[in-house]
Parts: sequence; C-alpha cells; structure tokens
Amino acid sequence: MKVTEPLIDTGQVDLAGFDRALGDPADPAALLSFARSAELDRGERFPADICRELDRMGLPSLYVPAEFGGALTRYDELVAALRAVARRDLTVAIGHGKTFLGGVCMWLAGRPEQARELGADIIAGAPVSWGLTERGHGSDLLAGETTATPEPGGGFRVHGEKWLINNATRGTLLCLLVRTRPEGGPRGFSLLLADKRRLPADRWRPLPKVPTHGIRGADISGIALDDCPFPADALIGEQGAGLEIALKALQLTRTACTALSLGAADQAVRLAEEFAARRELYGRRLVELPHVRRVLGEAYAALYAAEIVSVLAARSVHTLPEEMAVISAVAKSYVPTRVDELIAACGELLGARAFLTEVHEHGAFQKLERDHRVVGIFDGSTFVNQHVLINHFPVLARGHQKGTADEEAVGRTADLSAPPPPARLDRLSLLARGGCGFTQSLHTASGELRAPASAGEVPARVAELAEELTNSCDRLHRELALIPPASQDVQPEAFALASRYEQCFAGAAALRLWLHNRTPGEDPLWLEAVLTYVLRSVRPPGQPTDGEVFDRLFDARAAGRPASPPTSVVTW
Amino acid sequence: MNIPESAPSDTDLRSWLRARVAHYVQLDVADIDTTTALTTYGLDSVYALILCGDIEDHLELVLEPTVAWDHPTIDALARHLEETLAQGSPSGESR
Ligand SMILES: Cc1cc2nc3c(=O)[nH]c(=O)nc-3n(C[C@H](O)[C@H](O)[C@H](O)COP(=O)(O)OP(=O)(O)OC[C@H]3O[C@@H](n4cnc5c(N)ncnc54)[C@H](O)[C@@H]3O)c2cc1C
Repeated sequence: MKVTEPLIDTGQVDLAGFDRALGDPADPAALLSFARSAELDRGERFPADICRELDRMGLPSLYVPAEFGGALTRYDELVAALRAVARRDLTVAIGHGKTFLGGVCMWLAGRPEQARELGADIIAGAPVSWGLTERGHGSDLLAGETTATPEPGGGFRVHGEKWLINNATRGTLLCLLVRTRPEGGPRGFSLLLADKRRLPADRWRPLPKVPTHGIRGADISGIALDDCPFPADALIGEQGAGLEIALKALQLTRTACTALSLGAADQAVRLAEEFAARRELYGRRLVELPHVRRVLGEAYAALYAAEIVSVLAARSVHTLPEEMAVISAVAKSYVPTRVDELIAACGELLGARAFLTEVHEHGAFQKLERDHRVVGIFDGSTFVNQHVLINHFPVLARGHQKGTADEEAVGRTADLSAPPPPARLDRLSLLARGGCGFTQSLHTASGELRAPASAGEVPARVAELAEELTNSCDRLHRELALIPPASQDVQPEAFALASRYEQCFAGAAALRLWLHNRTPGEDPLWLEAVLTYVLRSVRPPGQPTDGEVFDRLFDARAAGRPASPPTSVVTW
Repeated sequence: MNIPESAPSDTDLRSWLRARVAHYVQLDVADIDTTTALTTYGLDSVYALILCGDIEDHLELVLEPTVAWDHPTIDALARHLEETLAQGSPSGESR
C-alpha cells in the first residue's frame, strides 16, 4: 500500500491509520508481509524499501520531540508505533527504531539549535545510530577506549572503534560515547555527534556487517576512527557529562525497547492461536485440548502483564520522571523476559511448525523467536537492568517504609482517559530517591477494592488476590532492607529479589490500571488473570496456583467477549 | 531551604560519611581514609549514586545524585556539603 500523506506528522499522530497502512502480514501484498520478511531474512538483506516507506508515513518524526520539530509528544504513542512495526517484523522495527535511540542524548542535553538540526535530518529520513559498545567492552561503559582528545584550537581528535553497533554503516549520523579524560572515570567521558557528511573520508571507515543469529538483515556493524578530527560543535552537552547523559538516555530507550517485545508477543500469540484453531488431530481440533487452552490463556495473561508494564512505564516518563531509573529498569528486565517465556510456550504448542523455516506463514515463528532473543541483550541486558534495580534496594526499602508516594501522579499514569502531561525530561534522575510510587501505593489500591468487593460489584476473589499481592510486596521490602549493600559483588539472591520486585510492580500497575479505568459492571477477568500470573512467581513454595482463571480468559477471548486491559491496541 | 538547627559540624559530617562508606563497601571504619578516592574501596561510580540519598536524608538537603562523582573523596564531599549548607540554598535539583 502506497501512502501519500504522512500519517505521523507534527501535530498529528494517526496510530490507527498507521497500523492499517502497515497491513496484514499474512497478505503477501502488504508492506510488511511474512513472505517478504522471510526472504530478506534468508538473504540477510536490510529491509531498505520498507524503511523508506515507513519514512514516507512519517514514522521518523515520532523519534523527534515536538520542541525540536517532530511529532513526539507522548512516549506511549512511540511505544504503540514501534509495537505495530515489531508485530510484523522485528528486524524492521529494530533497524528503523534505532534512530530514536541515536537521537535521545541530543534531546536530553543538546543545544536547542543543534537538536533542531538533528531533528530535521531525522525527519528527512537520515538514520542515526548510537555507539556505546566496543569490541572489548559491552555493559561496562566506563571501560570504553575510544578516545577524543581536545584540540588546542577547539574540536577533538577521535581514535578508536565502536563495534556491534546497529546501523553504524547505514547511519548518516552516530552519537558516540568517547573518553575525554585519559584516566576515565564518571566525568571522563563525553558524547559526540559524528556527522559522516562532515568528517574527512580518509579518517574513518565502517566495519563489516557482523552475522547474527536473529535480525539477520539488520546492519550490525561498527565504525573505526583514525585520529579523526571532529568540530567543537559535535559535542552533545558538556564535556565530561557523557556517562550521566547516556544513563538518563537509557531510561528512555529501555522503556521504548519494550515495544519490540510486545510486538513479538503479539505475533507469537497470533501464530499459536491460529494454528491451534486449525490443526486437527485425533478427530479434534488442537484448541479443544484442555492444556492447549490453558497455555493460550496463560500467554494472554503474560502478554497483558508485559503490556501494562510497558505502557505505564512510557506514561511514567510524563508523570513520574524522577522514578524512571527504577521504572525503566523494571520494564527492560521484566518485559523481554516474560515475552521470551511466552514465545517458548507458544513454540511448544506449534510443535514442528516452530522449527520449520518455510512452512506456516513462511516460518514466521522461528524468525521472531530468533529475532527477539536480542531484546534482552542490547540496550542493557536483563542482568544489567536488574543490577540497577538492586542498587536501588536501599531507597526502595526506605521509600516503602516511609510511604512517600505521589499517589496523584501514580493515578495520572494509570488513568488512560486523560493524555499525560508534557514530558519533563529535565527531571529524569540517576537516582529514584523516593523509591517507587506504584509499589508504595499498593495498600491504597487494594484498599480501594475492598468496598466494591463487599458490595458484590467485584468478585471477592480479585480483592483477595490484591490483598495477597500487597502483603507479599510488604514482605519483599522487608527483605530488601535486610540484604547487605551491593556495591561490589552482587549476591545471586539479590537477582531473585529483583525478579520478585518486578512481579510486584507489574501487579501493582495492573491493579492501578483497572481502578482508574473501570466501567460499571465490567468483569475484571483480565485483572484476575494478571494478578494470578504475577502472584504465581512470588508465592512461597508449596502454595500452588489454580490456573483455572486462564481457561476462563481463553474462553472469553475465543467467544469474542471483551477481556483485554485498556492498554491493548491490537485489533487483529 | 533552611539549615537544620543543629547543623552537624565538619568533623561530625566526616565521621558520618566515613561510617556510611564503610557500611556500603563492607569494611571497618578504621580502614576508610578520608583523602582516598571512594572508588579505591570498590564503591563504583554507579553505586556511589546511592550515597546521595543517604546524605540527603541525613542533612535534609537536595543534591545532584552525581555529587560523589564531582567530589570523589570523603574530604572533598564533606567540604562541598559544608559549603552547600553554609549557602543555605543548595545548587541541587528540585524535588
Ligand atoms: C544485535 C545487536 C545490536 C547491538 N546494537 C548496539 C548499538 O546499536 N549500540 C551499542 O552501543 N551497542 C549495541 N549492541 C551491544 C550490546 O548493547 C552489548 O552487547 C551489551 O551491552 C552487552 O554486552 P555484552 O553481552 O557484549 O558483554 P558484557 O557486557 O561483557 O556482558 C557479559 C555478561 O555479563 C552480564 N553482565 C554485565 N554487566 C552485569 C552486571 N552489572 N551485573 C550482572 N551481570 C552483568 C551480561 O548480562 C552478560 O550476560 C548490540 C548488540 C547486539 C547483539
């Protein structure tokens, strides 16, 4: 489908139109089709035509905040748009969406005219890449060896390599983290915008494409700089502020990356659902087997939990910016991990069809399974994000005890009927000093369920689950307060506590979402399913979970009854 | 921002900071030297951010979380905090 008018433009973001224009991937004539994606993947070819079409639809303008000339005013819209692309093809979403990651440091710290200039390039379709990683150093950003030496007459001379960088070769511009003090340290790094159009051609070269297990068509490569001169105005923010800016930028990019997982989950669930509905064995259809319905019902609950965390994290950029250090770490750790599990469960249902590369929608499942693996690795691995969370244990425990939550801001995050207030990126902080409002206000939230439950408007079961979650979350915080500080070796037990914390956050977010958007008489089935799903992983051993709610969730969806949380945007 | 009525003296502040750092790096207070970079004791840059929350609570100040990056020894940190308290209006971010 060819689009003439951009669907996403300054002052206008037509997400429904954008989703329609992307088409049904099962239709080989659609812009993003399983057939075309499979072909590109087999040939390890970059989806350049598709990306050009996305440019024409206006997607790049959603990577640029409105104040710098773009259409980005709501981070939940960015998540929805990236999810829509990822639902069809993760390689395209990762290849195209990288430009948002490449721009973020500029939005946070650049001079206004510098940011507007980059915004104009992005809107015109220039890919922007983000180079933190080096061959010898991944997560350990302070170990980076690419060095920028300040020149006497202004500007820098940059030497070194950034490697394993998405779009390093295709990118017209690259935002690079470079060492500006020989001794390094937290004030020893800076950010430079490399504009390939302005750098002397004999002083840099792209590094070869790195073959990968998934997203095989993506441009994963690198750049080598050989004493390359950079102009003084390439500096983003202050000299020495690179680490601080990058860590804040990661709060936004990690939040956005969860959209990739949601898209993968949407597609996995759809492929499994359709297969189960059609496949006949032993004279029955697969979907009639009780365990199959259970697995699918559970997959819906997992998807809802992931979706709620992702969407509310994106809204928190607007409402709870000072908590984003915690919220983004939870989101980036929780969502890809839950979706990896969901994909594995759907894969089991698909049996051989999860393994074949040409059969069943052109082998779409095995492609998405491979493609999604990278989401839990890049932009801060699951461990790295859990480590951020573990560093926050002392403030989480203290905040929970004091109960300093801004309940109104938590409510504004969850209330989808109102657009979120403008994002205050200047209030992002490396330390969520007050802890986290969602988990702190669980008491209030579960309290609000008590009255409708005793009036019979809400099943007593749901109020009991909310109560159990609240108690479990209190218990967890008492444990967080007891564990020794983790400045050096983090004990494995701390990671288990981080996982439990994430589940509590997801449950708290789900509860809030329901409370602030409920309509009279609505069956809170999705809430019951999500709370059950979440509690299953935090219950002490020996307390089994009754999975019957997942069967009811499956039946409701199969019968076409409304059973999705209001964050759901998927219509097919 | 008011200065707490009994603003801790410089030496109090120093010994309090020493005790906090010792707690975080799990060493004896006696092993913590106030002129040595905090990273020497294994208080890595990212973890040093957490110290900010403690200091804020203790002094009822609002600080940049990166305060220990810019003042990387206990002495430097104490000096900076003293100055901030004396000015009465911290240069930190708003809550
Ligand atoms: C397809 C792809 C695209 C990429 N695109 C980009 C890009 O565009 N820009 C860019 O800068 N980088 C990019 N990367 C690099 C990616 O961000 C790094 O690979 C990532 O930072 C993790 O580093 P590592 O696994 O290479 O190694 P390491 O950081 O050495 O990690 C090794 C292991 O240690 C664990 N670990 C690390 N730190 C901790 C911790 N604090 N606590 C507990 N465990 C820890 C990790 O989880 C991992 O299991 C890309 C990577 C891939 C695969």
